[in-house]
Amino acid sequence: MAELEEVLDPVPYATAGWDPTSNEEWLARLGFCGAVRDEAVARLHSLMVRAARHQVHRMNDAIGLGAARREEIVLSAADEATVSVLARLHTFEGRSRFTTWAFKFGILHAGVEVRRAAWSGREIELHTIEETRASGQSPEGYAETRDLADAVTRAIAEILTPHQRRVAVALLVEEVPIDVLADRLATTRNALYKTLHDARKRLREHLRAAGYLATPEEATR
Amino acid sequence: MTDPLSLSPEDVRRLTAVTDPWLSCDDCFDAVDAVVEGVLVRGTTMSEAFRVHLLSCSVCCEEAEALASLVAADHGLDPATALSMVDELVQAGVPRGGWT
Repeated sequence: MAELEEVLDPVPYATAGWDPTSNEEWLARLGFCGAVRDEAVARLHSLMVRAARHQVHRMNDAIGLGAARREEIVLSAADEATVSVLARLHTFEGRSRFTTWAFKFGILHAGVEVRRAAWSGREIELHTIEETRASGQSPEGYAETRDLADAVTRAIAEILTPHQRRVAVALLVEEVPIDVLADRLATTRNALYKTLHDARKRLREHLRAAGYLATPEEATR
Repeated sequence: MTDPLSLSPEDVRRLTAVTDPWLSCDDCFDAVDAVVEGVLVRGTTMSEAFRVHLLSCSVCCEEAEALASLVAADHGLDPATALSMVDELVQAGVPRGGWT
């Protein structure tokens, strides 16, 4: 990291109103101590509030939460994101602007909190799945789609493990957000996505062998 | 006793989606800032693994889009333009008319 004096603006750095434009300046100020660091952390926190608010306002799940709860989530997510950024400063490699890198933490924490709040108190059960939904297809097309759907349904029951079945149905059929399911199953987004990856692979292999899906070679012909 | 599972065409598409080349959610998070800036600022593309991940992980995709629309103004773009730049790349491998 460059020496602080090399990257700071020529204006006295303890004064308010600095406007860091370079990654080096951000890192130098956040790595310093005292008033310089405090001011940089406050700046960082205001960026995290901006990112969290942006994400909360984009999410349909947030609409039903009410304005007060949404603002609570914005501030709480900004706090958590600020801590995350400071804890991972050493991993910043300068592949993007520092602000872009930091924004993703604000967006992540806000998204997770909104999904948790929206699903708070809601049961996740398999027996809420509805009957077949109409798709506006021709009778022939409908029959083919129905055949495939029935084959997928059988494959889910026969070739997936109970854990794979639970995860795949919850995430892909019931559309439970992945963070919410991760909370309920005491695991992580990453682990659930891997389970899903393996389950999809098994399903495709089975359906291909049974003639319901084209092989990669057939698909490229 | 649970009701029998009844799948819509969209459910089937999601259940049988190809998720290779593999990329984890953590890897996606690590790269998303650089990928988004690359797309918006330098007009670069995204790796196939990253593109496939965004197609098959709705939460990571939502976060990438949020980041693109948030930083758009920093790069002289409006949020809608930034979103469509990302979306076009993500959808680049999807057949015309969508998946069947």
